[in-house]
Amino acid sequence: QGVRQAQWLTKTKLVEGLPPSVLSIIDNPAHQLEDYEEGVKRAISHARFWDTTEVAPRREHYCPVLFEDLIHLCRLMAAKYPSLAKRMLARNYKVSATWERESILLQVRGLNGILMNSMAPIPPVAPKEEILATEEHVLETFYPISPTIDLQEVNVYKELSDTGKSSCFRDGYPYSHPHTLFFLESANVRTNRFRPEQLRAKMLMFAFGNALAKAKVLYGNDPKVLEQPIVVQSIGTDGQLFQFMVFQLNTTDLVSSDGIKNLVWIDSDQNLYEKAQCVPEVKKRVVTKPAGIYGFQPDTFKKFLALYLHGTV
Amino acid sequence: MAASRGRRLLWQGRCWFSQTESAAPLPPPPDSLYPPIVASATAKSKAAKRRRLEHFNQQVHAAVSIEEKLRLYGKLQRPKYMVYPQTFALNADRWYRSFTKTVFVPGLPPRPAPAAARAPAAVAPEAAKAPEGAAPQAAKAPERATAAPAAAKTPEVAAGAGPYLDMGQLRSLACDALLQESFYQNKKRPFLYRDQDHTPGPFLTQLVSTLAAFLCGRNPLLAASSLDLKPEVNYYWHHGEEVVVHGHRKGRVDPVRFQIDDNPHLQIRVPKQLPEFVPLESDLGDVPVIDHKPSKLPLFKKQYENKVFIGSKVADPCCYGHTQFHLIPDKLKRERFVRANLEDQIEVVYRANGIASLFAWTAAQAMYQGFWSEADVTRPFVSQAVVTDGKYFAFFCYQLNTLALTAETIQNNSRKNICWGTDSKPLYDVVEDGSVKGFNDEVLLQLVRFLLNRPKEL
Repeated sequence: QGVRQAQWLTKTKLVEGLPPSVLSIIDNPAHQLEDYEEGVKRAISHARFWDTTEVAPRREHYCPVLFEDLIHLCRLMAAKYPSLAKRMLARNYKVSATWERESILLQVRGLNGILMNSMAPIPPVAPKEEILATEEHVLETFYPISPTIDLQEVNVYKELSDTGKSSCFRDGYPYSHPHTLFFLESANVRTNRFRPEQLRAKMLMFAFGNALAKAKVLYGNDPKVLEQPIVVQSIGTDGQLFQFMVFQLNTTDLVSSDGIKNLVWIDSDQNLYEKAQCVPEVKKRVVTKPAGIYGFQPDTFKKFLALYLHGTV
Repeated sequence: MAASRGRRLLWQGRCWFSQTESAAPLPPPPDSLYPPIVASATAKSKAAKRRRLEHFNQQVHAAVSIEEKLRLYGKLQRPKYMVYPQTFALNADRWYRSFTKTVFVPGLPPRPAPAAARAPAAVAPEAAKAPEGAAPQAAKAPERATAAPAAAKTPEVAAGAGPYLDMGQLRSLACDALLQESFYQNKKRPFLYRDQDHTPGPFLTQLVSTLAAFLCGRNPLLAASSLDLKPEVNYYWHHGEEVVVHGHRKGRVDPVRFQIDDNPHLQIRVPKQLPEFVPLESDLGDVPVIDHKPSKLPLFKKQYENKVFIGSKVADPCCYGHTQFHLIPDKLKRERFVRANLEDQIEVVYRANGIASLFAWTAAQAMYQGFWSEADVTRPFVSQAVVTDGKYFAFFCYQLNTLALTAETIQNNSRKNICWGTDSKPLYDVVEDGSVKGFNDEVLLQLVRFLLNRPKEL
């Protein structure tokens, strides 16, 4: 069921589009996001055309390369904003978080791509009123399908629920706040890749898992409404299509289906470019489409950069 | 036969016109009725071979684009020696120097004056304290303001209030990267013999990317740079001659072909070339001459595609190299050499890696600009490299002055390539309990200087 199922499992209300704080970063002309267009075009060309001795690289090659190049571009902005240097990327990162949802014990676990941590947490995106308004929101259920459909049932022997001790990072780690999760769908064969809907659901579950683990570290294991909501962002891509998501954990009281809900803003299916032609297309000895990038959309990179800068500007 | 017939005809022709010679100046002789007399192109003779070679050289010179030139250069496939930059062979660096006509100068190249003035004067001295890994950076900011350049060696610091490098912040960045990879992040146990992928690899990636981002304000070249993770660098060249030993081509004299296929851990490519360290024609030492066949090293032959590649295709605007970072694999760990009583070979590993990788990279960059062994470089190509095994760092700078290494072109070529290199020094002593003990600022400073290297105009 994708995102709807994930919403029910994490007790979240969905808001379309990105939150106003992120949008304000995009719209703010002081950040001069337009200067990076050339760099982004170069990054796409590098990833899709130039990086290999073969004629055209495969997705499992170009997807991570594109991601690395975009992150490199974002990191270079540290010249303007010195506090950006206080970020650390963790690759091959494992997380696990457990929670109960109407008497079903759920757990999110596993290698979930690349996590970017920062020293300072992202401030909450939604004002208090919006949080309280979620109380009235009723979670969508899909009776008669059980909400746990398509979930793997395993015997959980240890309820691990930290980004701290048992799972990933030890205590005293200075970059203790999960900032953004990156998911790269880079399998060559299309069936091995997640469809956009499923990718968004996966992003939501893992963002929730990270936020929940952080909440338990900060506030303990008792379910309650959080005074200071925790915000975790997540970006998923398959090398061309980008999904952006900002998740705000308002409450760890997940057993019941009413009360304050968590919030998620999703901006889905953003194309960075329409097509990347490696070899010119020739029909009847005439070049119909020369090699190059078609349909470049700078807005997608602006959103990427805005999510990267979120929390420090 | 053809020659004598031609001569006779000419004589006859002269006879024919002899009466009219005195009458008027001879009109310019018409283009001869017969094609020019040249050696055969297909015979099994030295003249024919020369003619084929000339034809090939002309074809490559006249190639339309760089891709076409590279394609023609590496079109003929024959068995060639595969040169591995990371090798366990004893004294490999001497052999590699002879293959690539490189002079090795210990130490680092003399720095051009303005950059030298900025670097030592810019380091704010730190109070002697054991650097703790996770210390907050708030205390470092006031130290930046209290500038007291203790090491102002060269007086011509015209920069005035130049930006000071905050060693404390750099040190904490490096320590944070190190601690995250080795201590804080819980990873599974390293795979067998894959220790390098587990900790030093990610540490190096983190360190370089954070340092590059931190320093891009100082060095605008870094802001336009391109960072490659695990790129491929290939170069193919001829050097020397040998007689084919067996096979249907037995007895023929062939150039000795080499190919380097390298995979640095990390590489920074930039759109502008780094400045030269010394002038093009300088002679800083001798190239070792080795009388044995390369296969004695040991080096093995294989026939496959002749690739020339710097890490990305010709169309990429970032076509010059800045710095490469190499990770020594588990097979060549220090402990193994110590156990085998070969301590002196440890440095050889670093040197051979530096020389071979940098030669391949700079030569491929030169080929991307259209130079090759018949069209030698008109300006030196410069790149840097850092070879490390996670704890010990060795720094290398390479200046490519000549590509003409084939048997014909090397005879009149007095230029030599130059490689400067240091010994390997540890960055830290040990990591325990969340802190880094014995951090060595010198090594970090050298790394930072490498990253800050840029053309004079910037």
